[in-house]
Amino acid sequence: MNQTNSQPLSRMPAFSDRSAIAGLVADERVHSRVYTDPGLFELEIERIFSRLWIYVGHESEVAKQGDYRTRLIGRTPVIMVRGRDNIVRVLINRCRHRGAHVCETESGNTKLFRCAFHGWVYDTTGAVMSVTGKEAYGTRLDGKDMGLTPAPRVDRYRGFVFASLSPRGEDLASYLGPAAAVIDLIVDASPTSEIFVDGGTHKTFMNANWKLVGMDGYHPHYVHASVVAAWKRDAESGVGSTHRDDPFNDDAATRTRDFGHGHSMLDFRAHRIKHFEQQCAFLRKLSGGDAYLEAMNAAYGPERAATLVSVGGDPHLAAFPNLQLIHNQVRIITPIAVDRTEVTMTAVRLGGVSDAINFERLRQHESFYGPAGAGSPDDMEMFERAQRGMMAEVNPWIEISRGMDREQIDADGTRVGLITDEVPQRGLMRYWKEQMTGANGV
Amino acid sequence: MNWNDFREVELLLFREAELAAKNEYQAWLGLWAQELLYCVPCNSDEVNPASKIALIYDDRPKLEERLFRLTTPQAHSQRPQSRLTRVVSNIVLADYDPATGGTATARFVATEVRHDRQTLWAGSTRHTLIRSGGELKIREKFVYLVNSDTPMSNLTFII
Repeated sequence: MNQTNSQPLSRMPAFSDRSAIAGLVADERVHSRVYTDPGLFELEIERIFSRLWIYVGHESEVAKQGDYRTRLIGRTPVIMVRGRDNIVRVLINRCRHRGAHVCETESGNTKLFRCAFHGWVYDTTGAVMSVTGKEAYGTRLDGKDMGLTPAPRVDRYRGFVFASLSPRGEDLASYLGPAAAVIDLIVDASPTSEIFVDGGTHKTFMNANWKLVGMDGYHPHYVHASVVAAWKRDAESGVGSTHRDDPFNDDAATRTRDFGHGHSMLDFRAHRIKHFEQQCAFLRKLSGGDAYLEAMNAAYGPERAATLVSVGGDPHLAAFPNLQLIHNQVRIITPIAVDRTEVTMTAVRLGGVSDAINFERLRQHESFYGPAGAGSPDDMEMFERAQRGMMAEVNPWIEISRGMDREQIDADGTRVGLITDEVPQRGLMRYWKEQMTGANGV
Repeated sequence: MNWNDFREVELLLFREAELAAKNEYQAWLGLWAQELLYCVPCNSDEVNPASKIALIYDDRPKLEERLFRLTTPQAHSQRPQSRLTRVVSNIVLADYDPATGGTATARFVATEVRHDRQTLWAGSTRHTLIRSGGELKIREKFVYLVNSDTPMSNLTFII
């Protein structure tokens, strides 16, 4: 069944409709149904969010024993908790009795989780401590582990905790591939390799599909034209100091990268290293700036320190499907419905740096990100306009061929394009298609 | 403090609400003192700029840039502009001297309409007012949104 340009999907595609789903995604274009079809969204919850490695939280968010934070993996409510044994676990937030949330607050510290429905109690390792009126169950619960269900697989990279709701699949290191080394760019912006993901969270929602929130080096001149205009008044205002000399121009040394597994990056390293001295001058104006530069040199050696300092702790990485590390934030993308997405942006504080440096980084985040920022609201507005436009199916193809004929492929398989090329979009859709059609087996 | 002094503060807060509701940015900015702080905390009512981001934490240069940006043709998140209406009430003065100024707390409810979507915004405010050149001016404004810890879409208008 190869008719894809006029055959709408009129029902939820089943496993047997693999070819129907595959027909929605070509290398250079995708059918906009991938963004608008509620049946496909349900399949995504199953095949992407309930199977792949999903970012849950950072260990610094649960710094002390008993600290917890609740999040969603797809639709599954989970608790990331540092147990009394100091181990960070991801537990399903569902009482083993009759299914209620055992934790109803977003974060806090506790010695145990008590289900308010019938009083069952679990400790912070998930083990069941008390079944109220247990004698009424006779021997039926004997030998059964009635503790909170752990997520089938949990792993972490440099404090970033990921979990999978599937017991099978490749390990986290294989899944992240070259994206892991890019995570280093934010962690090692600290001379002590410590980050604290606790600088406050901008919580936003948009009436648009989660896959629209991607890496894109083509849009800034247009979507953020108002910010570029503001930078003409003050070039170092807000995140202006990180975008010297127009990095969003195909003549620049900036690149787009597709690492496979849907992960992508806007790579500013080669561009920003050219402005290393300017970045140092900017930092030296801050209290503790000199000390920071010395500490970075001592910790990483001059060459690596120059990359880290000039990049400024900004990986600009999208780790498919739900994590993005942009400027000074950890961004989590949570799909609510095919046309509704929540995006949270948590500011990061660096360990081992002066208060003034962290203050500056928090202010930079405020200036551009969040619902009152100069940048993100225009992004979200644009995604909503795309969602509304894609309701038209008369000519349903989304064009993602920009730069397709000039892609380079690195030795490790990473696809590289110029900054405005749609390398990230093609990378995301390629992996999406593979996962949605079960190409690598269920 | 007498009724006229209270009324002066009330009329200032009402005028601020009117100018904000009409997106009259420059006239609204004209109500502020030279040195200012416009702050909308995030996640809670606590303001801790050393360790937390806020939704808005603007001094004069940042606020001027914010208003400049909103007037550029490509300020997409305010194209179309929000239609706004706002009620300010429960106004109470504290440490107030009509000659020099003081603090005014209040509560507000605002309705914002954009793209046929109607959003209710509500919370409390704390203004620090100073007498400058005979006029009462806003030195600081803190807006404590009841939804500051809940996903919101677009807060690019004046709250």
